[in-house]
Amino acid sequence: MDPIALTAGVGYDLLGGDRPETLWLGIGTLLMLIGTFYFIVKGWGVTDKEAREYYAITILVPGIASAAYLSMFFGIGASDVVVGEETLRIYYARYADWLFTTPLLLLDLALLAKVDRVSIGTLIGVDALMIVTGLIGALSQQPVARYTWWLFSTICMIVVLYFLATSLRSAAKERGPEVASTFNTLTALVLILWTAYPILWIIGTEGAGVVGLGVETLLFMVLDVTAKVGFGFILLRSRAILGDTEAPEPSAGAEASAAD
Amino acid sequence: MTDTTTEQPPALNTRSVVGLGACAAVALVGIFLIPTLQGPSGGLNVRFWTMAALELLAMGGVVYFVLNLHEEPS
Repeated sequence: MDPIALTAGVGYDLLGGDRPETLWLGIGTLLMLIGTFYFIVKGWGVTDKEAREYYAITILVPGIASAAYLSMFFGIGASDVVVGEETLRIYYARYADWLFTTPLLLLDLALLAKVDRVSIGTLIGVDALMIVTGLIGALSQQPVARYTWWLFSTICMIVVLYFLATSLRSAAKERGPEVASTFNTLTALVLILWTAYPILWIIGTEGAGVVGLGVETLLFMVLDVTAKVGFGFILLRSRAILGDTEAPEPSAGAEASAAD
Repeated sequence: MTDTTTEQPPALNTRSVVGLGACAAVALVGIFLIPTLQGPSGGLNVRFWTMAALELLAMGGVVYFVLNLHEEPS
């Protein structure tokens, strides 16, 4: 399929460098910054020990992501990689962002489920392997090698998601209906969003090239903002974090969980 | 789980708070490192792996410092 057909009219070149994806990168930077400052303001003065840990993690995630988006916006976070006979523009800052932020999102879930440190280390180790092998794929010059590393990375992701949906879910359930409800909501979000990443990679410019850079950047931006700011918003509004006195509303499905 | 009593909030571990700030700085350096390393000092792969190592270091530091964010009660 011709990628031009799917990129026509998608995006707007804000910097005049023939990069229409800068519109989406600029919006991504702004949304990540707004999320960061919202979490800082919301967490200011929090004294609860556990809540402080969640806030520390959840503020750093969009904070570093906003810097990564800013670097991509100005073209600093991109580099040309020769693949076969063509030159691809790789936004490597994505991988830097994901290496830092995806393990921290998992740390939030692990703290919520209150699993031991060995489980946390295993989960984060497999996650880091997932991103590193994805980066190897992005840097590989042979298409076969790129797809092989993509497959390896995707298998790592499946292991992480399986671990979340089984042992961490069981651990969270033991902490009561509020925690179980929040954990289930966040895990569902992670399962859906994280599954979309390898699909987008394989159909995007770094894979088969079915969609062009404009569409790819837009979709990655939506996924990133939802997976980081949306995730943090749900986590930090939950009664599992705030307790009964401050939470604005019951966690989704809490009553259903309590009825189990 | 918010503290609604008049008890003193648990003391933050100063070293961990400073460590979290340092990790954030290392993560930022990792993101902006590649353009500054361009030149004869190293190939593209070397620069990418330097970036990845810095991000992993920063992430590992955040995990450690968050798990030790408060002073242990004596």
